[in-house]
Amino acid sequence: MPKHVVATVEEIPPGGRKVVEIAGRSIGVFNLGGDYFALRNRCPHQGGPLCLGKQSGFIHSPLPGEYEYSRQGEILKCPWHSWEFDIRTGQSWFDPARVRVRQYDVTVAPAQALLDREAPAPGLEPGPYVAETYPVTVEQQYIVIDLPG
Amino acid sequence: MVTVPGARPITAPGWTGQPRLDLGLVDCDVHQGIKQPEDLYPYLPRVYREQMIEQGGMRIPGSGYFNVPQNAGRTDLAAANCDATKHSTHKMGNSYEQLRDEHLDLWHVDYALLTGAGVYGASVLPDPDFAAALCRAFNDWTMEHWIARDERLIMAMAVSTSDPRLAVREIERIGADPRVRAIMLPTGNRMPYGNRFYHPIWEACERHGLVIGIHPGNEGAGLAGPPTGVGYPTYYIETRMARPQMAMAHAVSLIAEGVFEKFPRLKVLIDECDQFWAVGLMWHMDADWKSLRDQTPWVKRLPSEYFREHIRVGSQPMLEAANNEQFLCMLDAMHADETLVYSSDWPHWDWDDPATTFPKLPEHLHRRVFADNAREMFGL
Repeated sequence: MPKHVVATVEEIPPGGRKVVEIAGRSIGVFNLGGDYFALRNRCPHQGGPLCLGKQSGFIHSPLPGEYEYSRQGEILKCPWHSWEFDIRTGQSWFDPARVRVRQYDVTVAPAQALLDREAPAPGLEPGPYVAETYPVTVEQQYIVIDLPG
Repeated sequence: MVTVPGARPITAPGWTGQPRLDLGLVDCDVHQGIKQPEDLYPYLPRVYREQMIEQGGMRIPGSGYFNVPQNAGRTDLAAANCDATKHSTHKMGNSYEQLRDEHLDLWHVDYALLTGAGVYGASVLPDPDFAAALCRAFNDWTMEHWIARDERLIMAMAVSTSDPRLAVREIERIGADPRVRAIMLPTGNRMPYGNRFYHPIWEACERHGLVIGIHPGNEGAGLAGPPTGVGYPTYYIETRMARPQMAMAHAVSLIAEGVFEKFPRLKVLIDECDQFWAVGLMWHMDADWKSLRDQTPWVKRLPSEYFREHIRVGSQPMLEAANNEQFLCMLDAMHADETLVYSSDWPHWDWDDPATTFPKLPEHLHRRVFADNAREMFGL
């Protein structure tokens, strides 16, 4: 299961995002309040670049004319046709069981875990690590995506 | 291949493997827009320029319904890093370079019809002289900043119907230009388009071989009637569902008032009103014509025959049927090989890309829908 270093933690602050290319796949990495999520940048509807869409909240209603707004920034709307996806789960709002976008595991790892093949950090497999444009330095924390082989 | 991050490569059904450049692609709805009213100042008489400065805009009334924000544009066209703060100042569809790079080149478009934005609804302005001047300015701006820069671009010129003599004057001014292939009108207007009030305009269109383009816009705004036959709905989604009603009202009017008997070479393009209404219209109007024909005896043939010969339906937003079988049934029932033309609605959020919108079509039908129907309509 190759791991890909895609960013430093400073690069994707809370509310931020970054779209990266890994092994021919475009993937969006999101930071929601300190939690990281990675979604395939391709909408299951018509193949649009989902991760370039607008982030909004979850809007629902108990009664006509009344709005309830929650989870600001956690809903991703595709730039093609505006389908809504939950960034935390990859599920669509209108059919969460069947219409969903592929999610990838994201971890934050210290440089030591990425560099030291003999003594990897708990939960991380030893290399081969693919550093995507990042010369890994010892002081930094890195965002790492697990891409199933 | 594709350069937009995450965009789907052109490997969809009908485009298997490498793009099928031999299939041809004509896009019948691409929106070009000004960045700000100042863009039109050089093309306007001084009196209107000063009025626009005083008023701070073009005065084209909106209906107040809430479209998807950020000027209805695709956010992926705004900036690769999707910085929301940039969206508010970046109006999609106002850059020729963006159209070239992110649409024409990307999808291998052979021809794209520029349908405009905002100004094509000038017909609902109360002042017919200002409406005509605005159309003229927008047409000159489009010619200079878009048409002159790319041979793949053709143009649906803006025309205001409020004074037909002024409309004819504008058609006489630029309608003979080979890059002008249509006029553009909004679905929202004072009367359905078969009314003989408009006939001098249609006569000029036929003389210059210009297609009459009709596109949603201005319904319920300015001088236009409400978006539905039963009055004003409340929400934007209701106005979208009302588009087939407006398309039917105009198409039925054109047939019933004998427009295609008076102007037998005239073609009409109805964009962005969906498609299924065309089936119901042809079936219902054919049936009623058999009973009521003697009230409009100038309608000499089955209404569906006029429809199939003269009216073309834009594919966007392409209806998503429950399954491909039903979808292909609908195409068959509407005679899509004659009546359906591909439209993208670039650069709007509800656009339809040319590769993934349709299921795989038989190659003959694919050629008709994506290129040949439009080529014949525009004489390309």
